[in-house]
Amino acid sequence: MNSIDPVGLANTVLGGALLGGLIALSAVGLSLVLGVMKLVNLMHGQIVVLGAYAAFYLAAFWGISPLLALPIVFVLGFAFTAPVQHFILAPVAKHGEEAGLLTTFALAIILENLFIRFFSGDSRSLDTAFSRETLAIGPINLPTIYLIGFAISLTVCLAVWMLVTRTSFGRSLRASSEDPISAAIVGIHVSRVRWGTFALNGGLASMGGVLIALCFSFTPSSGSEYLLTAFAIIVLGGLGNIMGTFVGGIALGVIQSLGAYFFGDGYRTFVGLVMLIILLAIAPNGILKRRRSL
Amino acid sequence: MKNGISILLSRIATPTRVGPRDFIIVAVLAAVAFAVPYFAGTYQQEVGFRILQLGALAAAWNIAAGYTGLVSLGSAAFFGIGVYTMAIASNAGLPIALCVVLAALVAGLFALIVSPALFRLRGLYFTVGTLALAEAMRIFVVNSPWFGGQAGIYLTARAPKAYDLYWIALLIAVFVVVCVLLLLRSRWSYRMQAVRDDEDVASQLGVRTYRTKLWAFGLSGALIAIVGSIQALNQGIVQPNGGFGMSWTIDIVSVAIIGGMGTKVGPWVGAVFIVLLGEFLIQFPEIHLAVVGVVLVLVIRFMPNGIWGTLTLALQKNRNFS
Repeated sequence: MNSIDPVGLANTVLGGALLGGLIALSAVGLSLVLGVMKLVNLMHGQIVVLGAYAAFYLAAFWGISPLLALPIVFVLGFAFTAPVQHFILAPVAKHGEEAGLLTTFALAIILENLFIRFFSGDSRSLDTAFSRETLAIGPINLPTIYLIGFAISLTVCLAVWMLVTRTSFGRSLRASSEDPISAAIVGIHVSRVRWGTFALNGGLASMGGVLIALCFSFTPSSGSEYLLTAFAIIVLGGLGNIMGTFVGGIALGVIQSLGAYFFGDGYRTFVGLVMLIILLAIAPNGILKRRRSL
Repeated sequence: MKNGISILLSRIATPTRVGPRDFIIVAVLAAVAFAVPYFAGTYQQEVGFRILQLGALAAAWNIAAGYTGLVSLGSAAFFGIGVYTMAIASNAGLPIALCVVLAALVAGLFALIVSPALFRLRGLYFTVGTLALAEAMRIFVVNSPWFGGQAGIYLTARAPKAYDLYWIALLIAVFVVVCVLLLLRSRWSYRMQAVRDDEDVASQLGVRTYRTKLWAFGLSGALIAIVGSIQALNQGIVQPNGGFGMSWTIDIVSVAIIGGMGTKVGPWVGAVFIVLLGEFLIQFPEIHLAVVGVVLVLVIRFMPNGIWGTLTLALQKNRNFS
């Protein structure tokens, strides 16, 4: 790289923005869980990986295209995480927030090692008919899959936003996150709301995993990277702000792509992590001005 | 802001008392442990090394997490600093003992550098920040041109014999224990526990919370780095995924929690438990870690004070009733 060529840079920035928006889907649920349950969910990354594996095996055994598999993966993720909340996380909530955090850490260890045991440590990737295709807009070439993933992510994020702001479940969810005790007093079944939120997060994160696996290969140990990326996104976007999370994803995607462009591809994640630490230190509630949507 | 584990911990007889008796017990145990290589084989020495190593790591982590409330998931960063400092310094021809001291100093310096960012984070956010920090360090070492990348660095120093390693590990374990005991005798430990139980109130009462946290975090990190520097000698080669790998953080956290956070003896009980479990399941490394995870979930739920904390609580109750 001798000099900065504008087309390459534009390509990088646009590609990064699309990719970031796509990855945002895996972060939306984390933000909901943090807001409603005050739980730092360290097994989030493993749920994302689980979604990717689900799509991988659905494609391998039944030939279901990963994009068509998205609803199935959502249901699987939902069904898998609901009992985790009910039987494992809810009972330790009384021991305080650290107990919940360390329990999810332990669950992350369990899941990761079960992945290695049963799915092998090999690196996998998801393929579709258009995985190799690019779309040319003038001089700029963008992978088609980024565009499709971006559109899907945007649609789902909008749907979640509608769910949270326009439905009665969303009203209960917002009330429970604002003040669980008062919410319970006015008749909201707070523990059911938490259960629903955690399972919703499970479904969303697994779908996010499918989208990520369409763009990058993954291994059983990719979880911690996905977790930290998701954290960087929700901190950028503001906790509990759903469309903010989507915008935060785009911002992170651009920042990471620029980092990769200037320092080399290995630094893609590093740039995001350093930014996460700095952001946590200077603005833990996010830099996008927070409008209380949750 | 009170958080759960600290509420539970503060119910255990606080402040922890340390008397001459503790030092005598440590001296006796150390003398017994010193004799082990004379009648045990290489295998036993290796298991002993692993127990001493994990116990020392968990005891060091405990200074920050158990007594000061700084629950860090970034231990791998400090461990890796120890590993790499040893590799680079010993390859430069420095004597081993000096390399160990250097490892501690570099780790302390690192704690000083990252503390302004990390200490703005409270509770859960601190934990996430430390996790990000360790991962950032790993990726940095993989990609930067100075540390040998993925392939790592070979140590030119000849590998010590199993019994030498065991004795070095014993020396360091005793050092860590004495540090912890002296710390618990000092006024620092009162400040640390005050910060853990309620940082705002502690600060109102005149505790310099930032400085207290920095000392605890720095000391904890420096001790972890010392143990890491020995691991470099043990391996003969240092690599980013080995030195800065999450597996060290996982080991440390599980040993400390299973044994009992915020207790003197807990980390050592936990180390014996985890190492013996590992030897039992040695054929199935992934199953081993999954089992550790299951034990961790069960301990957090049913014995939130860990094995040792639960035992001492039960004993106290008995004494109070009888």
